[in-house]
Amino acid sequence: MWVLGFAAPDIAASVKAGQFVNIGMRPGPLLRRPFSVYRAGDDRIEVLLKAVGVGTAQMLAMREGDVASCLGPLGRGFDLTLSAKTVSLVSGGLGVAPMPLAARDARAAGLQVTWVHGARTADELCSETEGDEVILATDDGSAGFAGTVVAAAPDADLVLACGPNRMLAAAAQRWPQAQVAVETYMGCGTGVCLGCAVPLTRGGYDRACTEGPVYVASDVDWPALPSHLSYAVSA
Amino acid sequence: MTPDLSVEVGGLKLRGPVLAASGTFGYGTEVPLLERRALAGMVSKGIFLKPRAGTAPSRIVETPSGMLNAIGLQGPGVDALIRDYAPKWEAWDFPVLVNINGESASEYGELAARLDGVPGVAGFEINISCPNVEQGGMYFGNDPRAAAAVTEAVRRRTKLPVWVKLTPMVSDIGVIARAVEGAGADALSAVNTFVGMSMDLHAYQPRLSFRTGGLSGPAIRPLAVHLAHQAARAVDIPVVGVGGIMRAEDALEFLVAGCPAVQVGTATFVNPNAIADVHDGIAEFMARKGFASLDELPRYLPRD
Repeated sequence: MWVLGFAAPDIAASVKAGQFVNIGMRPGPLLRRPFSVYRAGDDRIEVLLKAVGVGTAQMLAMREGDVASCLGPLGRGFDLTLSAKTVSLVSGGLGVAPMPLAARDARAAGLQVTWVHGARTADELCSETEGDEVILATDDGSAGFAGTVVAAAPDADLVLACGPNRMLAAAAQRWPQAQVAVETYMGCGTGVCLGCAVPLTRGGYDRACTEGPVYVASDVDWPALPSHLSYAVSA
Repeated sequence: MTPDLSVEVGGLKLRGPVLAASGTFGYGTEVPLLERRALAGMVSKGIFLKPRAGTAPSRIVETPSGMLNAIGLQGPGVDALIRDYAPKWEAWDFPVLVNINGESASEYGELAARLDGVPGVAGFEINISCPNVEQGGMYFGNDPRAAAAVTEAVRRRTKLPVWVKLTPMVSDIGVIARAVEGAGADALSAVNTFVGMSMDLHAYQPRLSFRTGGLSGPAIRPLAVHLAHQAARAVDIPVVGVGGIMRAEDALEFLVAGCPAVQVGTATFVNPNAIADVHDGIAEFMARKGFASLDELPRYLPRD
């Protein structure tokens, strides 16, 4: 898991937790790649990534001073204006990406923050944590709670979750009102291509890039949302 | 001196040769950051009479130098288009063609009749080439009689310019081009996406839920240049080139191949200002070569 920083003053000044940027490189893959903004400040933004396909591998090969095109901030982030006293930030794997900003915004709103983060193994946990209380979980029990983050997390007035869609589906069962940031393939990131369709329980689809990526968990038709994204990709 | 890039295509006077391709520009309200001064015209996202939900995800995958999509013509239906978008188009300084779709020739005709005379609608692009619908679409576009019947059904219901977007999935595009020309088309758009497939080696099944999708992007450009050229040689009406244009040089290839204008599509997903960049690059090329207008650009269009 790596942190990549970009000088992006306008985005850094306006981004909200759960929003994302769509990053393009030349040379690089044809389409941009969407990333939650991990941290923002001092005219810089950071994104969290690991090499899951050719595009992310090329990004990790970038050197200091290389230029990439960052389109954003995009999408609708977490809503922290709801009346609440406590919040659980529940993340699995790379789903930790929007949580530092969520913690920042939640603190600013006066909330008590519980940081719940899980991964398959201790090695895959994100080492950076930010919460009044921190709970870690691993599937193999090599660190923290042995089991899923959804099982490890305490209830709270507000639950914000991000991670693999399978994990979010489990979160939706426990907390139908949770705000979850879903993962989809994305084309343009701006609402035009309709590639990032999210199936809704009320029927039809909307766009993860525009109406999402954050949804009220019970609004998503989880069985119809692909739980696994293949990143075999391209050159 | 700034070269004159205006063109006239199939009954429409355009301020430049670069239009936005259907399905890559929504209804014209979605694309941020585009410098619209360069936009010669827009073809709307494909519309049906009724609202359509579109296909289940996954709908897109990236492939080498391209992307496959199977959106399935998701859209709000013609009533919403007339109510929500046409009034905006009326105020814009470039023409909007509506990309129309149906499951029968009479549905295309009915759509044309509904939209004819609606302020903001400057013309039609008949979509007989969408690969991502179960009924109609490409299946009209690879049969010259069906293609002509759809074109005729629209032609009868409107005096506005009628363009027909052709599918590349045919053995001789000239046959289809001549058939729709004979049925009254004012211009052709060549070409729509190619049917492709990509397999998920984790799930052992297609990566798209629709199984197949339409391939677009630079991967198809030489194929599209060839087909646009073949179509242009087959008919007397203008052929608007479309397929994999990312840069001005790509657009100029279509222009030299016999097209008076082009449409830019997938590039807009990557670079929201792609249309303006292509337009400006064409202007720069013309100035560098000393051409005062696009009429002076040499074309390679031998007649058989």
